[in-house]
Amino acid sequence: MGTVHARSLEPLPASGPDFGALGEEAEFVEVEPEAKQEILENKDVVVQHVHFDGLGRTKDDIIVCAIGDVFKAKNLIEVMRKSHEAREKLLRLGIFRQVDVLIDTCQGDNALPNGLDVTFEVTELRRLTGSYNTMVGNNEGSMVLGLKLPNLLGRAEKVTFQFSYGTKETSYGLSFFKPQPGNFERNFSVNLYKVTGQFPWSSLRETDRGISAEYSFPVWKTSHTVKWEGVWRELGCLARTVSFAVRKESGHSLKSSLSHAMVIDSRNPSILPRRGALLKVNQELAGYTGGDVSFIKEDFELQLNKQLILDSVFSASLWGGMLVPIGDKLSSIADRFYLGGPTSVRGFNMHSVGPQSEGDYLGGEAYWAGGLHLYTPLPFRPGQGGFGELFRTHFFLNAGNLCNLNYGEGPRAHIRKLAECIRWSYGAGIVLRLGNIARLELNYCVPMGVQGGDRICDGVQFGAGIRFL
Amino acid sequence: MSLVAEAFVSQIAVSQQTAFFVVRKGDFTRIEEDSSLFKAAEPWPENATLYQQLKGEQILLSDNAASLAVQAFLQMCNLPVKVVCRANAEYMSPSGKVPFIHVGNQVVSELGPIVQFVKAKGHSLSDGLDEVQKAEMKAYMELVNNMLLTAEITHARYGSPYPWPLNHILAYQKQWEVKRKMKAIGWGNKTLDQVLEDVDQCCQALSQRLGTQPYFFNKQPTELDALVFGHLYTILTTQLTNDELSEKVKNYSNLLAFCRRIEQHYFGKVSSSIKLS
Repeated sequence: MGTVHARSLEPLPASGPDFGALGEEAEFVEVEPEAKQEILENKDVVVQHVHFDGLGRTKDDIIVCAIGDVFKAKNLIEVMRKSHEAREKLLRLGIFRQVDVLIDTCQGDNALPNGLDVTFEVTELRRLTGSYNTMVGNNEGSMVLGLKLPNLLGRAEKVTFQFSYGTKETSYGLSFFKPQPGNFERNFSVNLYKVTGQFPWSSLRETDRGISAEYSFPVWKTSHTVKWEGVWRELGCLARTVSFAVRKESGHSLKSSLSHAMVIDSRNPSILPRRGALLKVNQELAGYTGGDVSFIKEDFELQLNKQLILDSVFSASLWGGMLVPIGDKLSSIADRFYLGGPTSVRGFNMHSVGPQSEGDYLGGEAYWAGGLHLYTPLPFRPGQGGFGELFRTHFFLNAGNLCNLNYGEGPRAHIRKLAECIRWSYGAGIVLRLGNIARLELNYCVPMGVQGGDRICDGVQFGAGIRFL
Repeated sequence: MSLVAEAFVSQIAVSQQTAFFVVRKGDFTRIEEDSSLFKAAEPWPENATLYQQLKGEQILLSDNAASLAVQAFLQMCNLPVKVVCRANAEYMSPSGKVPFIHVGNQVVSELGPIVQFVKAKGHSLSDGLDEVQKAEMKAYMELVNNMLLTAEITHARYGSPYPWPLNHILAYQKQWEVKRKMKAIGWGNKTLDQVLEDVDQCCQALSQRLGTQPYFFNKQPTELDALVFGHLYTILTTQLTNDELSEKVKNYSNLLAFCRRIEQHYFGKVSSSIKLS
């Protein structure tokens, strides 16, 4: 029998469940022509050995879990498929720069006539990698330094340190991540951070120093994360002319909370999806594990996408949330929800909708926001197949409302409150996809339903971000 | 030079400026205050509020003294003010210091700016004084600020209404800040005896100035009276680990009588809290 090479495939995207079914992107095999043509597909084979070349500090047990299935393959096509899947699993661990698979017949004394050897040739990542980026946004420029130690102890643990030095604020964070060997979706991570942010719409400056520990696990098609977080928050005023309502919130507070998040994501792909749905539900309970902030907070995000004729996609999304303070204390401005902006209800200024005092927006305890979008390729499709694929034209209708609730009134009164004075807007624009995570949008918006106190941005609005309504 | 004279000399330059303002007082349209926050137009509202830290656990001696001084001053001006205690009062304040008052739309902190602000609204206790007296008053206020304030800081205690571990972190931060301030003014290396000695000298100067008069200047109280009352009353009535500070003050009977008089007159309480030894 001749040798069969399986050529290495392109590196897979970092996120998303879209691993590509076999045959979509793989470049396939070259079979050296032989004098005897064999019908390879249905020939029974047995995988006798699986070799690994290039392992250094990686421990054996995580490798074994990833390649266990390869031994179960019964015929050649299955061997190739299982090897491909094993290769994907190994790459997803994030500890190898490159994984090549070689399938060969077995040689040697105890070789069966239909025995195969599968060899994985891997190159481990260096012990320490660094990165340097500059970031511009929100009136501030900053320099971001990252250090990563992949595969620290040999079982795909990862330690990352990030330091951001900005013109106004400095932040840093340290994170330790450990997956369960054999089951990458079950993982555990601990983070320490100090993050400072400025929020000019509320004339507020917030410094968070915190520690969090989270555990993620899959349940059927959903992914769950359970997290404990302890944050020391320091709120301060950005200007001397800040309103007294925001002044009253200045000072220190300690939040210790338990939260649970569930995500079901079947979108394909996850940025500018053509089909699929996303549901995220998050709940947080603060105050029962210490700290002086006590509340229960619930929020959800829903997105549905459907492909229509001519490559256009119709998308509907709905966001909502509610914050219920427990006990006598009022909710803190750092916990409340905000509405408005190029990533939320378009046509309004960033977080400039809802309760405010002297021009400083205080946020609200309950909100909802919805959007209907129609994405089409650029008219006349310039750059089709290449650069033009990153752009879309975009027609939208957004609506939302934000308010504080008086919890003595009962749910009917709350729903009524959220249904009156709805802010909404419509418009059109262009969307540019950045990599696999972010988007840039340039829209022409017409805001409607504007209430007294809201700040609008009618006309052209530019937005950049990861999460858009 | 005596302590008072030193402080006095440094105030001479200030008094020149005061004279300038007095000369131009008649020209109403040209009066400019230092900060745009001082609007003279509105009258004193009913709901003026004074914010300070929580009593008992949290408030430092010096902060308590400052707050009492402001309260006494406002009482002397006959301006009603409500006192609200909040754990985050020092973070709410625009300058980071307590106490501060919230009047209408303005927020003003510390005795000096508050006196100016009240003056802009047309109430002043020191209008009747001439220039020399005003400079003298400022000199004594500086003296009190430097001596008694820092003496109180050496005896500071800082509790915390915050939950664990925030209470420890903030207490350490506060202590570190106070030590740094003391080093900056050269008090870092003074022993307790030296501090007591300085306090004694200050009280002596004040006692001499007061003499047998009811208030420091004539028969009307001024902001100096409010300031001295705030500090002395705090020293006399707060429980401390050692009583040497209050013993020093108690040596001067006219200062004691002064405190009692102000307490009775402006705070309406018959005091049994100032104990005579």
